[in-house]
This record gives sequence, structure tokens and C-alpha cells, in this order.
Amino acid sequence: MTAPPEPVGTVHVVDPSPLNWLFITWNTMEEPIRIDQDGRVVHSLAESSEWLDERTLELRLRRNVRFQDGEHFTAHNVKQNFDEMQRWAAPHPPGTWLNFPAPQSTAEVVDDHTLRFSFPGPDGLAIGKFRGFHVASSAFWNGKDAPGFGYKKFGSGEGHW
Amino acid sequence: MIDEPGPWGTGPFTLVQGASSITTRPAIMNAEPFRASSIIESEQRDPQVVLEANLDHWNRAARGPRIERAVFRNDLTPDEALRLVCDTEGEVDIVTEVSPADAQRVLDSAHARLVVSDANRVLVGILNRGSDAPLHDVEVRRALNAAIDRTAVVDQGLNGYASVIPAMTPPWCSGFPAGVQPYELDAAKAREAFAKADWPARRPLRIATPESFAAIAHMLAASIRSTLDLMVEVVVVPPDQLPAGSRALIEKKLDLPWDVLLHPWFDLSSEAPPAAVHREFFGLDGAFRAGPPDEGFDALFDEMKVQLDGEALVEVAERIDAYVHDRALALFICAPQALYAVNEHVTFSPYRTTFELAEVTVDEQHWSVGGGRSGTSRTDLGDRAAVRPTSGKPTFAQASGNAC
Repeated sequence: MTAPPEPVGTVHVVDPSPLNWLFITWNTMEEPIRIDQDGRVVHSLAESSEWLDERTLELRLRRNVRFQDGEHFTAHNVKQNFDEMQRWAAPHPPGTWLNFPAPQSTAEVVDDHTLRFSFPGPDGLAIGKFRGFHVASSAFWNGKDAPGFGYKKFGSGEGHW
Repeated sequence: MIDEPGPWGTGPFTLVQGASSITTRPAIMNAEPFRASSIIESEQRDPQVVLEANLDHWNRAARGPRIERAVFRNDLTPDEALRLVCDTEGEVDIVTEVSPADAQRVLDSAHARLVVSDANRVLVGILNRGSDAPLHDVEVRRALNAAIDRTAVVDQGLNGYASVIPAMTPPWCSGFPAGVQPYELDAAKAREAFAKADWPARRPLRIATPESFAAIAHMLAASIRSTLDLMVEVVVVPPDQLPAGSRALIEKKLDLPWDVLLHPWFDLSSEAPPAAVHREFFGLDGAFRAGPPDEGFDALFDEMKVQLDGEALVEVAERIDAYVHDRALALFICAPQALYAVNEHVTFSPYRTTFELAEVTVDEQHWSVGGGRSGTSRTDLGDRAAVRPTSGKPTFAQASGNAC
């Protein structure tokens, strides 16, 4: 296998978009799926997804992924981020339509690379909603210096994106 | 979102300096079941936000990153940025959200080129079906749609950088209904439909718009005025009144002071536009729905959202776009393109829905490789910066009100 080319150079960007906060996030964090150049859903941190029944979605997660702080990425990270988001009434600025109904929606770790979501009913938009499910390392949520989407600065993560 | 730098993610870049975040205020539509959206109250952007290549990225061979570092400069206005990318080297390499009014300037530049993308964006007029004017009448809505010249709006209002589409779904997205055609300017048909309506005498049609689309609002007003012989008023909403106006629209308690509101919007993918676009304008939990819920739309959306099979979901999505077109639930205008000014030594291929840097490369003549200067090494840029423009040029840079 050919080694990837070494990164070269610096670019300066001016981005007046009102979504700049989200673009910074999407260039630095990842989700179970991402959106490709043409706007199509492709797997990212998940390798595949499968509906086991109308209410149960199983994600098989990519192996050999590490957070930028060196932590190995596992299903436990996805569950932690899911559980943290489920604490909030409106975790996504676009609106509560992106919510997974709480408390009925749950995430269960099957093994280090398999996660099973249970929803109260069939949700054909669930996989697309994962685009807003940014997966941060444990250190982002735990410990005295964890920023946690605003906890450190504002006392709460909700409303600060 | 990430309000301080750190190695928090797995993405192709690591945030090593500065941050770009927003503070939002919830706008609640319904308490039980809880339905809410958010309004951006403020942006917090450091003067420089620096991303460095994550050399350990799992997909580095396929995607990248190909550059060592990206510096988001928030110390420049869009006009300053455009001048620097067009006239200099080493200051600015990519400017997003270039207005069509500035496209020729980029085309004429010796240092930059214009990159144009069929982005997943729409510009529509929200029709206030709860107005005291008879916009609840489908014939009136159809008459308005037949009274505007979309081609002129695209050619003259957006310098050609937009596509006329039938309703809310562009043809490159899933859920585009085959056979549905855009409404065309048809004065006779528009007058005939409008004559059947009970429009109150001397009641003007009130079109509201943010500053950035004022010129287009005046074009539409002129077309409706002449076609339907109807008084039309255009109200340009000052930026400081946009948050309150947005909140009133989302919460749906107050009577809205307009009949038509020009509103740009964008999609998060090409897969199922009704989720992030149609639902927002017409759905029960739609932030931009003006007027009562539409039972026909909600029934279709309820059918779509439970489809676990992709093809079945897309089939319903097609029916949804055809439905909103047939019912003329909005004043359908066009799908604006996204424009970028890019340094001639930088390769950049735009995404339809986002702004990604992993695949960006620079060539050997680029200032950062060939020993040229960088103008952004200074650190006296102040505490915070205001990047968003206040000009009257058409641009999605002022498309906010609700976050995304």
C-alpha cells in the first residue's frame, strides 16, 4: 500500500457563512456518517448500519481509529456522546426534529465495535440525523479541564455550539 | 460548537488555536410534545482559528488532509477578503459566500479564480397563509407563482448564478419529482386565477426581505404589480430587527406583519430534502411555517419519516415536492449557487452542503511553499472579529435567523 502524501502548505480562509461554527466542527470531529461532495450519506466512523427490526438500528464501527489525543475510538465513546446529548431538551440548533425521543431512545454497547440503538418507533431519518452526532473523546466530557460544548465556560453545554 | 481548541475529535484536522462558536436562544413552538428551534443570538469567533493536519487520520490516504494547516481569518470583512484574494498573494486563499455581484471581480483577477457549485440551497418567498389577505386560497398562491419572472430574477438579480427549480428540491437531489415543471410567468393565467379570489380592495401585498435580497424583492414586487394590477409594498427588515422577527415566525404566536418573506435556506444532504427543507417551511414542527398546519403535507411527511427502505423514502419525498408545488405553498424562486474565490495555486472542489478542507491542496508556486510571505502572522488582531457583512448584495452570508 502506498503511503499517503505528506501534507504541504497553509491556506488562509475567510468564511462569512453563518455555519462557520459547524464547518469547524465537521473538519475536526466526525460522526457515524458523513456527507460526501455530492451530498450523499456515506459511512464515516461507522463501517455499516443495519436495521435489525423496525426499532433497532445496529452500527458496526470502524476499527483502528484514534482520537487526536491518542484515545482509541470504540463503541463506548459513541454511547457516551449519545447519553450526553440525550440530557438536553434541544441538543441541535436546527431544532428538535433532529432529536431522538428521550428517554425511550437508548444506546447499548454490544462490543467494542458494535452499538445498538433502540428507538420508540421506526425512524427513517435516523441515519441522516447522525450527521449531527459529533463524537468527541472521553477527555472532552470528563475531568476538570473538559470543555464539553460549553460546560467549562458557561456551566452548561446546551445552547453553546 | 467547540469553544476552545483541543484534540477532541477524530477528524482530518485538529483545532489548535482559537474557536468559532455560537450562542443560541431556544424558540419554542410547542410545550407538549416539545418542539423548538434555535436562533443564533451571537457568534464568538477568535481572530484566527487554526486547524492543523491530523497525520493519524484513519482515512488519510483516500481523503487527506493534503495541507498542513488552515487558518480561518476572522479579522477581515468579506470586501477586504475579496480584495486580498483577488489582488495579493499570501493574505487570503479561499473566500466563501462570494456574492454574485462580485463574481466578475473574481473572474477578472490575476490571482484568484471563481469556483461555482450547484449547492443545496433554495431562495423562496414564505407565504403567510395566516395573513388577513387570502393567501389561504390556493388559487391566489398559484396566481402569485405565475406572476413572477424567475428567469429575470436569476439573470438580473443573481447574475445567472442560480437555477430555476419547480419547488424546493433541486434536480440533482433525491426526491426530485420527474415531470413537474417550474411555474412560468403567465400573465393571463395569473390574472384569471387572481380574479376568482376575494382580495380586499386597496389591500397591498406586503413583501418583507432581509437587506441582502432587497433588490430581488423589488424585482418580484414589480412583476406582481404589473401582472396582477395589485399594490405591492416591500419592507426591508433592518439587521437589528431580524432576531425578533425570526422568533415571532418560529413561535407562531404573534400575527406576522408580512404576506411574503424572502428566505434563503440550505439542506444538509442530497438524500431527503423534505426532512431539512420542506418540513421547515410547511411542517407541523417547521420553524418557518407561516399559517396553520397543512394536513396534506403532514400526512405525507409522517409517511416518509418512518420509511426504513431508502427507495421507499425517496418515493414519498418525490410526492412531497410535487404536493407543495401543486398547492403552491410558497413563492418558489430559485436555487442559488455557492460561489468561492480561490487562489490560483490552490485546488478546491466544493461540497454541495458543507465546507471541507481535507482534499484541498496547494501547488509548488503557492506562497506557503515557495517562500512567499504570510500576512497573518501578526497577533494584534483584537479579541473578537465580525466577519459577517452588512452590505445589500445578495449573499447567503446573512442567511441566518435560525442556525441551519
